Amino acid sequence: MHFILYAFINTLFVILVSPLFVSLIKKVKAFTQGRQGPPIFQTYFMLNKLLSKERVYSVNSSLIMKMTPYINITCMLVASLFVPLLYVPEPVAGIGNVILFLYLMVCAKFFMALAGLDAGSTFGGMGSSREMTVSAVVEPVVIIVFAALGLLMNTSNLHEIFSSSIKSSLVFNPAAILISLSLFIILIVETSRIPVDNPETHLELTMIHEAMILEYSGSDLALMELSHSIKQTLLMAVLINVLMPFGLALEPGITSILLSSVLFILKAVILSVIIGIFEASFAKYRLFRLPSLFMLAFFFSFSTILFELLR
Amino acid sequence: MNDIIDVFFVLILATAALIITVRTLSSLFNIYSFQSLFIAVVAVVLFFQTGNIVLLLIAILTILSKALLVPYVMRRIQKNMNLKRDVEFRYLTPIGSLLVGTLMIFLVYRSFSTLLSELSYDDLFFFGAVIGLSITLMGMMVIFTRKKVITKIIGYLMMENGILLFSLFIAELPFIIEVLIVIDLVILITLATILAYGIDSTIDDFHSKLNSFTLWFKD
Repeated sequence: MHFILYAFINTLFVILVSPLFVSLIKKVKAFTQGRQGPPIFQTYFMLNKLLSKERVYSVNSSLIMKMTPYINITCMLVASLFVPLLYVPEPVAGIGNVILFLYLMVCAKFFMALAGLDAGSTFGGMGSSREMTVSAVVEPVVIIVFAALGLLMNTSNLHEIFSSSIKSSLVFNPAAILISLSLFIILIVETSRIPVDNPETHLELTMIHEAMILEYSGSDLALMELSHSIKQTLLMAVLINVLMPFGLALEPGITSILLSSVLFILKAVILSVIIGIFEASFAKYRLFRLPSLFMLAFFFSFSTILFELLR
Repeated sequence: MNDIIDVFFVLILATAALIITVRTLSSLFNIYSFQSLFIAVVAVVLFFQTGNIVLLLIAILTILSKALLVPYVMRRIQKNMNLKRDVEFRYLTPIGSLLVGTLMIFLVYRSFSTLLSELSYDDLFFFGAVIGLSITLMGMMVIFTRKKVITKIIGYLMMENGILLFSLFIAELPFIIEVLIVIDLVILITLATILAYGIDSTIDDFHSKLNSFTLWFKD
């Protein structure tokens, strides 16, 4: 019963706040470039508009194309149960396992790449091929980073990782700083942000993620966009809960949930501003230079493991 | 106190990783300057722990020479050479160097852990020595993977930083040797400034460029 309540609150909160950070990052980028930028609730308006539009499918497309938005959003919502944003619930079997969390993300990515190929357009195929190339390189790094996180906290359960990070203040722990650097790089890579991919263009030379969802329209597109924003919020929440977990409640309660929701939004806003500035201060890397970025994350997580061995 | 030093170890490691991968010269100099600054801060924290005045002197010397003077001169050289980036690598790509770098840290850690278990050193000192030596080796890697001379100099400077860090923690160098090393550095940088004319060209070009100076000595 408790867990159902947790699932309801957490999922609702994730869905509600995720679009906010997408447009906030756009706004910050616009400010750094001297533009006004879209309104802060633009993503909500866009999702609302898309939900009432009709869906168009290519004649070449198959069942995959129609299934993928639902698979994507399901994977993301299930994954959202693994990352408590407001309070850490009682442990429930299987929920919170790091490996399962990563594979839910990969499952969504896999179907998105299939859908990119499915419509038969060259853009989609190109996007899928690039996404798979990048994933093949980044996936080992992600595993190493989360392994280092698990080693740091002595558990492979995300809920336990977060509850122990609340108890021991990690801000001045060198290993936590290293792991946050790696998590930040993974956040940038997985949400297709600038040194890796440009989320704003539909130029054929730069797009990876946008190319795969190019064929989608109407409510399908809304679901794809929403699941992408949820993915971003989840990765941001992992970083926030590891580095600055204060405010995350250990017991459910009306006041503690209100307080932690305000604090989470505040922390996520700060992180979004950092992401926006980071994105604005970099140019997109060439595809073949990307591994050096992943290698940095690998290097940092490897040193985290070393730090832990030394302690 | 130890936590603060640990945090700075992390930052020093991060700067070392960046020096291996970054391609823009001006940010390379900035990163080097920050690395020296972090090492100076570690020395200051150690001074507050032990009260050894030499540590404070080393910190001041490091900040003055390596965090301020050397990067300043390097920027001047860069301006003369009209060079913005170093994108050429030999033997190892930056990705390969980072991989080898992680391996090297691990090897240094392994070899030191068997070596130092005999002696009863503090964990922190052990760790400082490991990072110091790994940074020295990574500096060596910068020297042989980069093609441009100006980035090779950065590699040499990073090696020196590693030796300084090592000496802060394990084998305490006498202060006079520290001063001599800094003088060495200044001479290296001065030489580089003199050679800045030719450092970006081939030997033949350089010869003709240097010949123009001999006019000064002809009567």
